[in-house]
Amino acid sequence: MTTKVRVDTPLQVLDVRYSYGRTRAVDGIRFEVGRGEIFGLLGPNGAGKTTTISMISGLLPPESGQVLVFGHDIADSRGGARTRMGMVPQDIALYEELSAAENLRFWGQVYGLSGPNLKRAVESVLDQVGLAERAGERVGRFSGGLKRRLNLAVGLVHGPDLLLLDEPTVGIDPQARLRILDVVKAQAAAGRAVLYTSHYLEEAEQICDRLAIVDHGRLLAIGTVSELRRLVGEGPIINIRGEVTSERLTAMAGRLEGVALLSCADGAASFSATDATACSSLVRELFQTGAHVEDLRVAEPNLQSVFLKLTGRELRD
Amino acid sequence: MRRILVLVLKDLRRRLADPAGFFLNLSIPLAMAGMMALAFGNSGGGEQNAPQLRLVLVDLDESPISGMLAGASQNPRAAGRMAVRRAATREEGLDVLRDEEFAAMLVIPRGFGQALLGSERTELELVKNPSENIMPVVAQQGAEVLALYLSAGARVLGDEGPRLQKLLVDGAGWNDAAGLGSMIATLYDRVDAAGNLLFPPIIEVTEQAETKQDAGGGFNWMSWMFPGMVVMGLLFTSLTQMRDLLRERDAGTLRRQLASPLGAGQVILAKVLSVAAVVAIALVLLLTVGSLAFGLAWGAPAPLIATSALLVLAITGFSAMVFALVRTERQGDAFGGVLTMLMSMVGGAFIPPQILPEWLRGVSCFTVNHWGHEALRALATGGGWAQVGAYLPALAIMGVVFTGLGMTLLGRRHLRGTL
Repeated sequence: MTTKVRVDTPLQVLDVRYSYGRTRAVDGIRFEVGRGEIFGLLGPNGAGKTTTISMISGLLPPESGQVLVFGHDIADSRGGARTRMGMVPQDIALYEELSAAENLRFWGQVYGLSGPNLKRAVESVLDQVGLAERAGERVGRFSGGLKRRLNLAVGLVHGPDLLLLDEPTVGIDPQARLRILDVVKAQAAAGRAVLYTSHYLEEAEQICDRLAIVDHGRLLAIGTVSELRRLVGEGPIINIRGEVTSERLTAMAGRLEGVALLSCADGAASFSATDATACSSLVRELFQTGAHVEDLRVAEPNLQSVFLKLTGRELRD
Repeated sequence: MRRILVLVLKDLRRRLADPAGFFLNLSIPLAMAGMMALAFGNSGGGEQNAPQLRLVLVDLDESPISGMLAGASQNPRAAGRMAVRRAATREEGLDVLRDEEFAAMLVIPRGFGQALLGSERTELELVKNPSENIMPVVAQQGAEVLALYLSAGARVLGDEGPRLQKLLVDGAGWNDAAGLGSMIATLYDRVDAAGNLLFPPIIEVTEQAETKQDAGGGFNWMSWMFPGMVVMGLLFTSLTQMRDLLRERDAGTLRRQLASPLGAGQVILAKVLSVAAVVAIALVLLLTVGSLAFGLAWGAPAPLIATSALLVLAITGFSAMVFALVRTERQGDAFGGVLTMLMSMVGGAFIPPQILPEWLRGVSCFTVNHWGHEALRALATGGGWAQVGAYLPALAIMGVVFTGLGMTLLGRRHLRGTL
């Protein structure tokens, strides 16, 4: 597949592949992220998200394919492309012996800032993440939420045009999470491109303009939230819990019109139904056949159901 | 270059913000040196701290000659080295030897002075205390040297011995001025003729050595011990600092740096430079403590600076190589720590390498410790370029090879994605 190289497109990931020994971690993933767009990369652990981010940030060279940042191959251009990119890793990659301001000054200098520009950038980003009053405090004394906010600030200090956010809200309280999400949305509103990975589907659903679902190194689906929802239909999702077997439920779904089994594992199963009638027929069938159902819930289709349909497992499995 | 400086300064700021680990590393060699100084004396002080030779002297001859020998032990220099207890009889001497932990008993037999002056064969008896190891051997060697000198003296006297005996032992002939004058003239001629034999440069060398020791307060044995502790302490410091590379990897800050416009080479070089800077600071502190606490002088500035620079390079390179070969901090601590202790032992930090087996002495030449010790010891004992120059090329080669290898291996690990 050929692709036009566009210097105004913040990120083009073109059929990249990478293997660890004989294990193929990323197998031909392809997507683009435009200016002002928040693009979510979703997948369970081991799906290939971090390897993809590592290739995008230049830490791993793709075996094949290309990563273009504003039209520049990340493998060729050390300075230009990387200076326009800000990375926020999943780990809290900060120096705990230094203060918040010292951390930011250091990373600003790494990206070439100095003098008044550096000072302004540090003050501005501390304001954005709400840490201005704790600028001089050692990071080692910060709570997890404060560290996460500073971790994000480090990625923003040099004013990048492309932000790579790898699980930026892991392990923090809802208030800190909302603050981080607000900052991310503000960055996109300012015209920056954001590549965002997360375990939290609701979070991704809330802030991402477009999403890609990856598993086993492959890209399974890509589109807006509503486009992805359509993959499981417009109708309701029926989740049951009880003593159920995959064979029995597959056979049952096959007998019913407009009903499809999305997943079945560990005493839980999900069905999609095209409409309320199909939903009713499923419920009736379950009770008439004497299936031992302990819990039954009907929900609107969401990313979780899309994910289940595409991967057969929960995102956090 | 500016960005490398930024990385180095960042590491130094971090060390400054949390210096406990740094000082803990330095405290190890200082504590060891301090304990040894407490155990063996600070500067050694040469003679003052040398163990005293405790000797029982039995003078059965009681002649003026034996009296001179016995009296010699009373002069101030000898008194500092020897404790002499006189015994009237051999049996009494043996009792003292057994009961009061004397190293040996020297018995001057009856007729010794007469035999000596008559150039006849005679002997001194030395009874060593079997319960002691070293000092009886010292006594034996002293007695052998004494016998040698007395024999040489008797040979020089030759046939003038009996006349001298009459004069000294019998007290006869003092009123014979002509005979006395002729004997003195003869003895003078003989001593003069034997001058080259009796007063060779060995006496002058001894006097020079004594003068120097007196001026400098004696041999400072810490100048042997302390350099070994310094090199060992620097190795531990260097390993601890280089471990920060893997700590940064685990914390994610290394990944963040590698994703920035910095090249992997710059990141690795900056880490090596920051470790070298910390090691250099540690070296300055240790040398200063060596001077202040143990009275060591490190010689002229130029050789000291050259030695320090190459030592820091070699030690930093060594730690870079260690951490290029290990996967985790714990592995680095264990591997580096064991290697440092082994190298310190083989390199002569604890025992003189001369007493090691031949093959181990060969191994010693491949350690930073060996060359570092030797160079610092040369400086501490007043050596300059001439003495230190022999060790600097080895340190330079080790520094370049270790640092080059370490950086190359770390770079390859980055390319494989394992750094």
